[in-house]
Amino acid sequence: MSQLLELRNLGVTYSTGGEAVQAVRGVNLALAPGETLGIAGESGSGKSTVALSVLRLLPRSANVTGEILLDGEDVTTMRWGRLRAVRWSSASVVFQGAMHALNPVRRVGEQIAEPIRLHTDLPEPKVRARVTELLEQVDLPSEKARSYPHELSGGQKQRVMIAMALACEPRLILADEPTTALDVIVQAQVLALLGELVAERGIGLVLITHDLSVLAATCRRIAVMYRGEVVEEGPGDEVMARPRHEHTRALAAAFPTVGDPASRFAPATANPLPPEPDRATPDEETPGLLAARDLRVTFRDRRGEAVHAVAGVDLDVRRDEIVALVGQSGSGKTTLARTLLGLQRPTAGSVLYDGRLVPTSSAGLKEYRRQVQLVLQDPASALNPRHTVYEAVAEGPRIHGLTGDERSLVLEALAAAELRPAETYLSRLPHELSGGQRQRVVIAGALALRPSVLVADEPVASLDASVRGEILGLLLRLRRELGLAALVITHDLGLAWNIADRVAVMYRGELVEVGPVEQVLLEPRHEYTKSLLAALPTGTARASERGV
Amino acid sequence: MTSPAWQRRRTAARDLWREFRTNRGGLVGLCVLAAIVVLAVLAPLITDESGLDVISATGTPLQPPSGEYWLGTDVDGRSVLLLTFWGARVSLLVGFAATVLSVFIGTLVGIVAAHFQGWPSAVLLRVTDFFLVLPSLVLAIALSSVLTKGVWTIVLAIGVTSWPSTARLVRAQTLTIESRPYIERAKALGGGHAHLIGKHVLPAVLPLVLANTTLVVGSSIIAESTLSFLGLGDPTSVSWGSMLQTALSSGAVTAGAWWYLLPPGLAIVVIVLSFTLVGRALETVLNPRLKAGR
Repeated sequence: MSQLLELRNLGVTYSTGGEAVQAVRGVNLALAPGETLGIAGESGSGKSTVALSVLRLLPRSANVTGEILLDGEDVTTMRWGRLRAVRWSSASVVFQGAMHALNPVRRVGEQIAEPIRLHTDLPEPKVRARVTELLEQVDLPSEKARSYPHELSGGQKQRVMIAMALACEPRLILADEPTTALDVIVQAQVLALLGELVAERGIGLVLITHDLSVLAATCRRIAVMYRGEVVEEGPGDEVMARPRHEHTRALAAAFPTVGDPASRFAPATANPLPPEPDRATPDEETPGLLAARDLRVTFRDRRGEAVHAVAGVDLDVRRDEIVALVGQSGSGKTTLARTLLGLQRPTAGSVLYDGRLVPTSSAGLKEYRRQVQLVLQDPASALNPRHTVYEAVAEGPRIHGLTGDERSLVLEALAAAELRPAETYLSRLPHELSGGQRQRVVIAGALALRPSVLVADEPVASLDASVRGEILGLLLRLRRELGLAALVITHDLGLAWNIADRVAVMYRGELVEVGPVEQVLLEPRHEYTKSLLAALPTGTARASERGV
Repeated sequence: MTSPAWQRRRTAARDLWREFRTNRGGLVGLCVLAAIVVLAVLAPLITDESGLDVISATGTPLQPPSGEYWLGTDVDGRSVLLLTFWGARVSLLVGFAATVLSVFIGTLVGIVAAHFQGWPSAVLLRVTDFFLVLPSLVLAIALSSVLTKGVWTIVLAIGVTSWPSTARLVRAQTLTIESRPYIERAKALGGGHAHLIGKHVLPAVLPLVLANTTLVVGSSIIAESTLSFLGLGDPTSVSWGSMLQTALSSGAVTAGAWWYLLPPGLAIVVIVLSFTLVGRALETVLNPRLKAGR
């Protein structure tokens, strides 16, 4: 069978500022019609560069060597006119981040019609009929063509992106992290949709992601990229079950299977974890160190209607335990966290710390914040780009006028966050650090105040797979060594399985299920928890195995 | 403040200067500015002030450049070189003072309006809007005709009328900065208003303010010339603006006396250019992102 896409000895070099960086080296890949190929790798591994090189969408500074055969025709030597014709009608791209890839001021129907108008001379009524047809294919009602991107949810926007990619009936679709920003349930729907399209229409799909479990669920073959090279390639289930390269193993371990006893309290970290200290058996009756009682936060939307972001939540975080707060985006998780920290005023109900009501005066709040600290989602923006690591960590102690030697305090906090040797980090600026190092600096900044509770809002969501395990290991180690309690907000059930003692599942502003991890994740009682668990990629893997 | 904090500031200032020195454009701008300022300050020592007196002028009117008068003479027979020399004093003084006043008011109003939500913000924004829609020249004219004539009246008139655009700019930038997660982090660390503004907002807004300042200096110098032309300036002192206007109104231009028009005009161009170069260089130094890109 002839190959739809064939990469022969592909190499891409970026030359920036007189320096040549080899992003992709000697990549050989092939894809037949009706097949799916998954490319996995961390950020910077060159996986997106491979995808963009197929349609020659790379910036001018990129120098491409080797051959890219699309239906037997070499893309690298194509003339401009031919390339334009090939783009979108033979191969199309589903770009990363649907919220930024759509034009916010044009209706989505217009945007789907754009490639059709460019590549064909269809009369206007037919174009419109085609848009309706495409929307139906991606399970969207045809009225949505008249919506603007901001009126659609994340999953709907991603469907619109897929409809756009299908517009000219291409034979090849390159999907670059199509589900990264989506919730598990929506992710499962989008992946199922892509799988159906491949099966029904015999198109080729290249799926690029950092999440191996997503690939395992959808792709027949998987290629793992590391530092610009393909380090492992093979059938999906084989790569997942018996990874040969150590990088593949690290990627696979970073996304644990819920219910697998081997990954319980064992995030993928290189440093050994301290043994579990003797803990008093948690008493259901004792109130938590940090507690919410019938907490309610109500916002007004633009029409003046009340939106109940948090609708009557009772939650306890006890000493010496990690509680995972799980839910979809928009379920009110972050609002709950901000209210617990006193960054958002509750509409009703109360927040208690150590049995006492959290004060609302600014002096009282300042004192409270020495005890309860925040770790934000994106470490890249959580640090002031102008402040050195030293200043960022010393910020808290300076605000609170802590006595003692500032320098040793900072060094101690950095060491506790496992930035070693701490001295070498002091004068570095955030943009000189990697994502994982930045997140450690944020954690060190919180630890410098010696808090007793850490509230972490999606602490690993924007980090690479191999770093993810290290940060989770750090949180677990802090709990075991310092007895630091934590409330970890996440959409990732695997994270809860990795480190948490208890799970609270949030749905539309309410906690629908709270309990020990084993109980909630293995024997879910609430419908919503069940659907969350069913949507995990490992679940779809089994479903598609039956289907194929 | 404690001594470590001051030590840190001193090192920061030293680092800033070391970085600044590597920027050739900024260095050139700074040298030109320094030269102009030094010359303007030293004018009474190195030149004879009596040459500015119309009565004791020695040259004939509108004499082209020659060995005696390097830049020719004006309609009253005074040396244009001497006039440009002394004009720098008034133009610079008014330009600097009005800019300081305007940027100070603008930055203060901008940051306060953005940082404090609710009624203080609403009131400040309405005041800003009021000054923004008011024709600033008319307001400046009204102010300087009500107050006593003099250089400081002009400074006040320009300063009080030109701040709203700075305030709008600073407010927009402050809102952008305040939406960044590191502000949330600082709040969670327990930082109060003073900490947030002083440590995070002000340093981030400052480059913009500096860049804005260069523009305000230029427009202040121009505004000063406009007011001088309308007879609202100090009639006893010479400025570049008043020179230009006299050149236009006295028919020097139609007479082909380019030597009367060019020196003050070029002086304004050079000084605004120098400010821009210095401002840009400072911005590069203060913003680590730009630094990494070079």
